[in-house]
Amino acid sequence: MILSMFPNSFIQGSGIRYKAAELFGRVSVAISSSFPVLSTSLEENYSKLSNSFQVSAEREPMSNPQQISASSSRFPDNIHFSSVSPHERYSQNSPFISQSLRDEARLRSTHFSPSEGQATPLINHPEENKDNSWCIDPLQDFLDFPENDPGQTGLLESNTGDIASDDRAKRIEWWADQLISVEDGPEPNWSEVLADANVTDARQKVLKPSTDIPTQHPQVHPQGQQHQPVSNEEFHAVANPLSMTPANKSRMRWTPELHEAFVEAVNRLGGGERATPKGVLKLMNVENLTIYHVKSHLQKYRTARHRPESSEGTSEKKSNPTEDMKSLDTKTTMSITEALRLQMEVQKRLHEQLEIQRNLQLRIEEQGRYLQMMFEQRKQMENEKSKASSSSLENPSAPLFESKQHSSPNETSMATELDVAKTGADTSHVISAPEDSSASLNQKQKAPETKTGEEVDPDDDESGHKPMKRARSEATAFSPKSALGNTL
Amino acid sequence: MKFGKRLQQQIEETLPGWRDKFLSYKRLKKLVNLISSSPPPSHRHCVEAEADFVYLLNHEIDKFNAFFMEKEEDFIIKRKELQQRLQRVIDTWGPNGARPSETNCKEDMAEIRKDIVNFHGEMVLLVNYSNINYTGLAKILKKYDKRTGGLLRLLFIQKVLKQPFFTTEVVSKLIKECESTIAQVFPVDEKEIGRREPTIRVTGEGVFRNTVAALLTMQEIRSGSSTRSQFSLPPLDLTDSEFIRTLQMNSPPIPIPIL
Repeated sequence: MILSMFPNSFIQGSGIRYKAAELFGRVSVAISSSFPVLSTSLEENYSKLSNSFQVSAEREPMSNPQQISASSSRFPDNIHFSSVSPHERYSQNSPFISQSLRDEARLRSTHFSPSEGQATPLINHPEENKDNSWCIDPLQDFLDFPENDPGQTGLLESNTGDIASDDRAKRIEWWADQLISVEDGPEPNWSEVLADANVTDARQKVLKPSTDIPTQHPQVHPQGQQHQPVSNEEFHAVANPLSMTPANKSRMRWTPELHEAFVEAVNRLGGGERATPKGVLKLMNVENLTIYHVKSHLQKYRTARHRPESSEGTSEKKSNPTEDMKSLDTKTTMSITEALRLQMEVQKRLHEQLEIQRNLQLRIEEQGRYLQMMFEQRKQMENEKSKASSSSLENPSAPLFESKQHSSPNETSMATELDVAKTGADTSHVISAPEDSSASLNQKQKAPETKTGEEVDPDDDESGHKPMKRARSEATAFSPKSALGNTL
Repeated sequence: MKFGKRLQQQIEETLPGWRDKFLSYKRLKKLVNLISSSPPPSHRHCVEAEADFVYLLNHEIDKFNAFFMEKEEDFIIKRKELQQRLQRVIDTWGPNGARPSETNCKEDMAEIRKDIVNFHGEMVLLVNYSNINYTGLAKILKKYDKRTGGLLRLLFIQKVLKQPFFTTEVVSKLIKECESTIAQVFPVDEKEIGRREPTIRVTGEGVFRNTVAALLTMQEIRSGSSTRSQFSLPPLDLTDSEFIRTLQMNSPPIPIPIL
């Protein structure tokens, strides 16, 4: 039985901080009977999922919709029961979250449940499980969203009209399946299962509280759910700005192109004053755009047109015109244009720096992720190696020998690739990126005081010797004995 | 605590309507301290605090997303408005410079220039908002991992990177577009460039002040850290814009207690 297996795994993995993993929610438990250290499996799942996300993302939505109604009746009681208790407990024992948030959570739960359509009978506390998808299964989410095409959304929406409740339903569905038919769930579902198991089993004190709190995450919901797909879609397909939205009040991410379509529709209907949300919606003919979106956007639009100077709706805007004129207290008189020019220059500079900073941050994370994956691969290979060596069969060891041979070249090749990258040989994009950022970081660390204008400069030849040192330290960090937290 | 102080400064210097939209760094830090201070035997408290931590993190992210997307929408609308307004002004008074003696034209142009510049500034401030919140999240997650030996950071950050509030491409594009518009709309005056005051004091509470504050704060945040690692940002380089360092901030407006 799955639930009973979990405590064992956590006890085994006690040397590692399992809590982080479970908090994060993407605790995927390897199907193999001997549960490996949980953090490893977490990472395994990560890399596995990222490799096979096509499959998993497609599989999940397909299997669910038909079964939602069938198994829903079995679980509401359980879910209701278990989700009530942490709720109460939290309101009493956790002073850190303000009471107002809690109240809001409760209000929101009640607010949303009636509007969930057919999904209502399934869930009594929609917010908690919904939020599972937000913070418990972030990987699941961001795997889901880019993969969602209209075909799939159509399928999902036809059932409940609310992707949030679909996710909930999905999870409950799988949990149901797992309880009834024990082992053979598809691998990527385990994270969901565990998350739900955590939510619903009050006895699992070890697991539960940490994953429960995230589930009681009130205002996330449709906003939390919707942000990701909307933004991904916005960037990838202008024509279809929303991939999945509920029928209800979710937040829409507007783009300039979408706004153009909006303005055109409004103009065709006689201008901002005469156009109605319904008419605009119809004319725009954008999939998944709701009348609420159009309504609020129209309101903003009208406000902007009536008072062009204070269209932001914030009071500081009004103070700007006079403030900025007088905001420069200089000895000589500057023309207004000059003042504006100066302002522009500062602003441009800030923006420039922000962009650079952001790129750096992205690369830092990329590097970190890369290192982590390498580390995990290494560990995995060692695990396999140790398993194979303990088995008495000859066959397994032969292919394992091969993989071992692959693994050591891998590890040493990474170090050598880091070295090679400095000479400009670009073995792979990912490797050269960490190389660059580490090079520049090394430079900065050596010379923090002298701001010599060396920004992130991948082609800087002076940094030749430093990446070598860095590569060595990274290579040694991959030695099997190093603790997990060492490199990161 | 250094970042916390800087963040606080930033919040105080920011546009009033934005003050409560920033990261609740202090609160998160308190939770992390609580988590790490309660030893494993009192498991229950530890676990609760951790759960609260994650809860709060997610709540913060939602806050950022909501605010960011709303502002972004406003900017998209406003940009169109400004474009149309500019077009109207140009059409009314002829191409810029064709009828320079018309005072009305000049006034209108000055007005719209100022509005465009402020608009630009506000967008940049939004990007700054996004960035400083991200930085705060990264820092607090790093702290969490450090104190608890957990693995939350790497994975959580991957999630954060995909959030709307961090994916600022659209706003950046609008900003660049704004810059090119301004380049067209501003008269070219060679004499004025190069004349700089040794110290320029920035007073008042406008967008300009806020951008200056943001820039200075960014510089300070990145000037050095006791816990530098491969995840740390290098120091900010502004040497090629000396004049920015000559900018001083006057006493800030009365701070509103936030957290």
